[in-house]
Amino acid sequence: MPARVTAWMVSVAIALATIGSVRGVAQARVDVAIAVHPDVPVDNLTLADVRRIVLGDREFWPGSVRVTLLMRAPVAHERDVILKTVCQMTEAQFRQHWIAKVFRADTAVAPKIVYSADTSVDLANRTPGAIAFVDAPVASRAMKILRVDGKLPGEAGYPLRDR
Amino acid sequence: MTFVRTPRFPGPGRRLPFRRRLTCAIVFTLGWFITATPARGQGHEVGPPPEAADQYPLLRISGFGDIDFAAQKRAEGTRGFSEGQFVLHLASALSPRTNVFSELSFTPRADAGTGNPPATGFNTEVERLIIRFDRSDQLKVSFGRYHTPINWWNTAYHHGQWLQTTITRPEMVQFGGRFIPVHFVGALVEGTMATNGLHIGYQGGVGNGRGAVISRGGDAGDNNDRPAWLANVYTRPDKLFALEVGGSVYFDRVSTTGRPEFDERILAGHAVWQREDPEVIAEVAQVHHWQVGGTLETSNVAYYVQAAYRLPSSARLWKPYYRFEHIGIDTADPVFAGVPRLDGSTFGVRFDISLYAAIKTEGRLRQRESGEPRANGWFTQVAFTF
Repeated sequence: MPARVTAWMVSVAIALATIGSVRGVAQARVDVAIAVHPDVPVDNLTLADVRRIVLGDREFWPGSVRVTLLMRAPVAHERDVILKTVCQMTEAQFRQHWIAKVFRADTAVAPKIVYSADTSVDLANRTPGAIAFVDAPVASRAMKILRVDGKLPGEAGYPLRDR
Repeated sequence: MTFVRTPRFPGPGRRLPFRRRLTCAIVFTLGWFITATPARGQGHEVGPPPEAADQYPLLRISGFGDIDFAAQKRAEGTRGFSEGQFVLHLASALSPRTNVFSELSFTPRADAGTGNPPATGFNTEVERLIIRFDRSDQLKVSFGRYHTPINWWNTAYHHGQWLQTTITRPEMVQFGGRFIPVHFVGALVEGTMATNGLHIGYQGGVGNGRGAVISRGGDAGDNNDRPAWLANVYTRPDKLFALEVGGSVYFDRVSTTGRPEFDERILAGHAVWQREDPEVIAEVAQVHHWQVGGTLETSNVAYYVQAAYRLPSSARLWKPYYRFEHIGIDTADPVFAGVPRLDGSTFGVRFDISLYAAIKTEGRLRQRESGEPRANGWFTQVAFTF
């Protein structure tokens, strides 16, 4: 193989790897926003509140509106961020937690699994009491975004992002 | 034939009997729950999205099972392969605020059938049957047959062997055991409150308490005129969210055939660190008995401490564990006559072969009485959920 072709292939490989890594970094830095149904009477949650909701320890909003928890399916970026930063659990631990939660009769309804960000936003818009986790650019089209510890996605110190 | 009509209500100035007052209170509470106006100021009825209005009842079925192998002395239990409990769990949301839970178990027994010798077979049991009305996180009311919520293990793992790290439960909460009343038939009020980051939960209950066979609850009615009462408070601090610390109290009157009645008070406490790196569970319970109309007073204490650690990175499927447990029985206590004492260690390892199945193997060193030889055994279990 001529040296020039080899050099060209190496250059292309390096370029692709660089683009991939930059894209990976960019994706990792996407904040995860909390989108809720417009009637949810809350504007701000603490990180502990978010944890209680995601783990099923808090089932009602103020005014006794039941929380409907929408979770992205495994491998989705939003789910990874929530499990790592909020629950500090692995996927296996999170699943075991919810199996145990239902088995303990703490709740009869496990999180609803959604398979796309658009579905998350759509269901959060239409389901009373719904809460969904979506990447911030997607959430910008949503109706109501909650602050977490007083901060919105994109602001310094916003907690729901890759670390 | 003569009918004697009993007045339903006493005359002025006389108090209703306790049971009738209790019934009135339960009916009033239930009525309040059913008629309570939800979501004040929300401008819409709380419920499922419009397109899912007919989704109730929303039934979810899950199951647990295990296959076991034991190498131990015949006197200590079964040997060789055995089928563990086959457990079905049904949870159904009847409405956004009403849920039904039930747990059915099928337990293999050597003497389930008839004949001589008796044929083997399965015992079927309704382990739990609960209907719960949720008003808010702070207030939920339920009725049914529970695993008595005065012990953490009893209400965390129930009959789900796959959920617990070890093969066996601690002997103080062993199914069929007598130290702690494992089942409770009655009503329960419970809730949680996020107070200054402490996240405090409570449960209060009234029910039938122990039956004439004290390892059983009063499933078909109370066997005396004294209901059992329980209360339990715990906290899960936000800053240490894997930690749960709590305590319980339980009062009952124990009535067994051919023996004097005893009042029973159980004080229990637990501290649990629920992460897996490490996992620590510690519980203690003191069971106090007073002879009714007599002077006999006895006290019994049991506790256990269990530690486990899920290994990091490539070995994360492995989780070694160790548990020490103690049961101290007062020899003068006729209620616990025949309940064995115990000083025992359990050590082993759990391997999660998949997300929903695990293989566990453990050794047990048990000493029933000081000076007696230890009863040791080795056990293996495949536990799964489906």
